[in-house]
Amino acid sequence: MPARCNELWLGLHCPQLPLLAAWQCDPEVPELHAVHVHRRGRHVILQAGEAARHAGVAPGQPLNTALAVAPALQSRPRHSRAEAALLEQLALGAWQGSSHVVQAPPDGVLLEIAGSRRLYGGLRPLVEALCADLERRGLPVRAGSAPVPATARLFARHGLHAAGRDAMRRKLHGLPLTALALDDRQAESLAGCGLDSVAELLCLPAPERARRFGPVLNRHLLCLEGRAPTPLAAWRPPETFRLKLELPAASSDSTALLFVFRRLIGRMAHWLDVRDQALTRLHVTLHREDGGGRIPLEVGLSRPGMDADRLLELLGLKLEHLELPAPVEAVELRAESTDEHRPPQADLWSGHNRGDAWPALLDRLKARLGEDGLSGLAPQPDHRPEKAWRWVEPGTTSSCEDERPRPTWLLPVPRPCRRENLRLEDGPERIEAGWWDEEDCRRDYFVARDRHGRRLWVFHEHQPREGWFIHGLFD
Amino acid sequence: MSADASLQQLLDRRPDLWRGRARKTFPAVSTGLAWLDRGLPGGGWPLGRLTELLPRLSGCGELGLLLPLLARCTQRAEPVVLAGPALVPGPQALLSAGVVLDHLVVVREAGESLWAAEQCLKSGLCGSVAVWPPAGRVGERAVRRLQLAAERSPGPTFVVYRPDQSPPPSVSALRLGLSPGPEVEILRSPAGLVEARRLGPESESVVDLERYRRHARSMQ
Repeated sequence: MPARCNELWLGLHCPQLPLLAAWQCDPEVPELHAVHVHRRGRHVILQAGEAARHAGVAPGQPLNTALAVAPALQSRPRHSRAEAALLEQLALGAWQGSSHVVQAPPDGVLLEIAGSRRLYGGLRPLVEALCADLERRGLPVRAGSAPVPATARLFARHGLHAAGRDAMRRKLHGLPLTALALDDRQAESLAGCGLDSVAELLCLPAPERARRFGPVLNRHLLCLEGRAPTPLAAWRPPETFRLKLELPAASSDSTALLFVFRRLIGRMAHWLDVRDQALTRLHVTLHREDGGGRIPLEVGLSRPGMDADRLLELLGLKLEHLELPAPVEAVELRAESTDEHRPPQADLWSGHNRGDAWPALLDRLKARLGEDGLSGLAPQPDHRPEKAWRWVEPGTTSSCEDERPRPTWLLPVPRPCRRENLRLEDGPERIEAGWWDEEDCRRDYFVARDRHGRRLWVFHEHQPREGWFIHGLFD
Repeated sequence: MSADASLQQLLDRRPDLWRGRARKTFPAVSTGLAWLDRGLPGGGWPLGRLTELLPRLSGCGELGLLLPLLARCTQRAEPVVLAGPALVPGPQALLSAGVVLDHLVVVREAGESLWAAEQCLKSGLCGSVAVWPPAGRVGERAVRRLQLAAERSPGPTFVVYRPDQSPPPSVSALRLGLSPGPEVEILRSPAGLVEARRLGPESESVVDLERYRRHARSMQ
């Protein structure tokens, strides 16, 4: 079944993905760095940084050879999970250009841009915008486009663009065989037949190709030509954000942790950005190296926000007060409660945005004092004075119908006192309530003066215990 | 610039310098209590400086005297912070004094009251901040830090000591001793000269007892 003719696919290819993934949590990446894989019983360089390549380290080289060539080289094993996470990031970036995104593991994404191309005013502005955005987020990509997804993926590796089928075929035919990025075995069998350009390969009849090189390669070639549909699984940004990053080495150093926080928050901000959502609560879990459990950190925002710097500051405050019992090996971030993003509204008259600074201050205080360390006060409709108030979230609106005068200070727990030290001035006010929830009380409240002349709020309790108690102070 | 003007500028920079009777008063804001305004230098609570309150016993007016100010601030939607009070401010009393509770924040973590107050002051967002230093000796440095932060806050700032705490030598603009009554004694006033050292309300009480009596009678 031929693909529809009006489609145009953009391929984004991140050539450095394995290298970036393996080194993403290091505050300072060494100049000579590389990533290696285990292949046929030995470690082989997969990718090397620019400086390492200049020093003579090449992909495919055994690790020992590479270390002999460049003794200062630092190489890490390939980290597939981190690569998958980076690929998600790449897909998020692509999501900004189209709502039809497909991941092309291990290091590319495809997006259908026939519609959005017009929105951006052409292919070039669209590609430039996407590439610049991804580059800013630390993912340099190459782009290529073609009417067929498989070809767009291939063209992305080589920076080729073809809008129509004829142009695509011409450019495809012009590529050398090595450009197909085939695996070693396939490349060998092709070379054994004396083929060295894509044009020669595509000129062979399809049944012949299938017989000689196997159905897998043939299928791939049919997809490239657009004669067979490319299997695609549409990707959507996840509903909840969850990302776990492993530290290069277990550490209890706050700078290392903060760096990882920055990475995590940067990614999360991207996710929020793409979904046009804001954050109300952030859960961070520190995984201990000794397997002794997890340390949860939680940051709440009083106003939904997505300011990465502010979140980082709050996390830093939390971290400051944390005694780490053991080094941390991984940090996990989870963002659940998202709310639709409302851009901050500046005050029309004063110009500066005070509305946002106050919630930010409350968040900072809460980060250090804890959720219960900071409160507002509200009255509660209950006759028993100790139940007639409660701590609330700051900013909670409250009013009170009750007009009875109450003291300015309340003792958290009524304190027993002696009747003979009191001079009763007013009262009694009989309070009898609570029989329904087994905290029954029967009291007579008085305003009294103590020896020092302070005006106290005292009560004589009849039930459950007999005696005089101070409950508050008229200040 | 004339020599006279530059000398004046130098002097203005050093409010702690003794200059006889010609002392400059600090900007102040009305306390909302006429008898207190009349007695205090500058006619109210000093702005941009600390005011230290030393209640002889807890509940001697350290909150009651601030209520009119708190009411005024919160009614203008300026946040008010009470950092680390030993007792719980009664919401009914605050409401009846006109305080809008939406804009009142209480720092309950008493051990961090100084830090929290400093953050609030530095933000410059608060209409007023009152801080109860944590129990134990209060360091001079802590108060100095508060003073520096208070200079960045638009409203008055209060440091309320516990009855068993003694204040360190400080840079406050005003130090008031509070006794039941309430009776206010001006212990220290670099902010300006005062007429009388002891102040008290003309009427016997800040609390509207008459209302309480009426209510109690109606209950019987």
